[in-house]
Amino acid sequence: MNIRPFLFRITALFLCAFLGVMLFRGIAAMPPKESVTGPAAHYLERASRETGARNVVGAILFDYRAFDTLGESTVIFTAVCGISMLFSRRKFHRSSSGLSFIAKRGIGIMAPFLIMYATVIILFGHISPGGGFQGGTIFATVTVLLCVVFGSSFESSYFPPKTKESLESGGALLFCGIGLVGLAAGTGFLSNLSAGFPAGREGSLLSAGTIPLLNIAVGMKVGAGLSAIFYSMIKMLDTTNDYREGGPIR
Amino acid sequence: MITLSYVTSVIIFCIGLYTIMARRNLFKTVLGLALMESAILLIIVSSGYIPGGVPPIEPFMGPAVNPLPHAFTLTAIVIGASDIALALAFIIKLQRHYRSVDLDRIRGLRG
Repeated sequence: MNIRPFLFRITALFLCAFLGVMLFRGIAAMPPKESVTGPAAHYLERASRETGARNVVGAILFDYRAFDTLGESTVIFTAVCGISMLFSRRKFHRSSSGLSFIAKRGIGIMAPFLIMYATVIILFGHISPGGGFQGGTIFATVTVLLCVVFGSSFESSYFPPKTKESLESGGALLFCGIGLVGLAAGTGFLSNLSAGFPAGREGSLLSAGTIPLLNIAVGMKVGAGLSAIFYSMIKMLDTTNDYREGGPIR
Repeated sequence: MITLSYVTSVIIFCIGLYTIMARRNLFKTVLGLALMESAILLIIVSSGYIPGGVPPIEPFMGPAVNPLPHAFTLTAIVIGASDIALALAFIIKLQRHYRSVDLDRIRGLRG
């Protein structure tokens, strides 16, 4: 009776170790690289000329593989839809009163700077490390902090769920609209400089054609989406008296 | 030095795999999945490294590392985060329904 779980764990441990060793052997079999080859070399060599962006990762995400990014932001949208639908039946919602006075003051001082940091990361995504995904995540972190420290009703009064919803949809529409401009110009969906977007002076804030706009769109989507996910989950956990009703019937 | 990164990611992967196999708690299963995902992302990012490489942001001060893995992992991180959030939402629903997050008990209640 007692020996079986123990045996199971030992077996699982050895199996994991075996698989880990095999994984490491597989990794070690990869030839060591001295230089970048393949499409990456092309990107590194020509990205700044073809897109006007200094950040090569941003250029790949929002120019060369922008279609990929569109599909990927749809995944976030689907996850937000799923979570909101799962938790949609809770009407009554009691917010927690938040943490202590010191924590509230501290976050009150820090929050504007955090929002500014997120904005800078999004807007300078094409000339420095950063971009829509990273900045959007930082923005979602601000709302999460507000939610935890001040209670979720405070957070929802400042950033109402409706606003998040429209921000997220607006980000998706902006992304697709920018893509359709390329289609109207006859150069293909989500094409950048070839569709007539100005390249600007390299390294300035207004450069790289569509990349800053797509960064803003993705930042809106990711920030609003992640904070909406967190809000629907904490709304669920805040409702303490709901644990009793809604039993295993149905 | 890149070998250290690979070894770390393999160890993290094994911890995640063991968590999935040995634990019956659904929350821990999702944590194991998240660990495995992080390990794989670490492997992908490390595979783009070249000796003496600099970040792929112009102007380069030397040979730049491969920017493609960075772009791939950037999207994969966000997808992973939303996946895990969805999985946790399902687990909360299951807990409401079965009063447990233990896989054995959930199976025991309804065949």
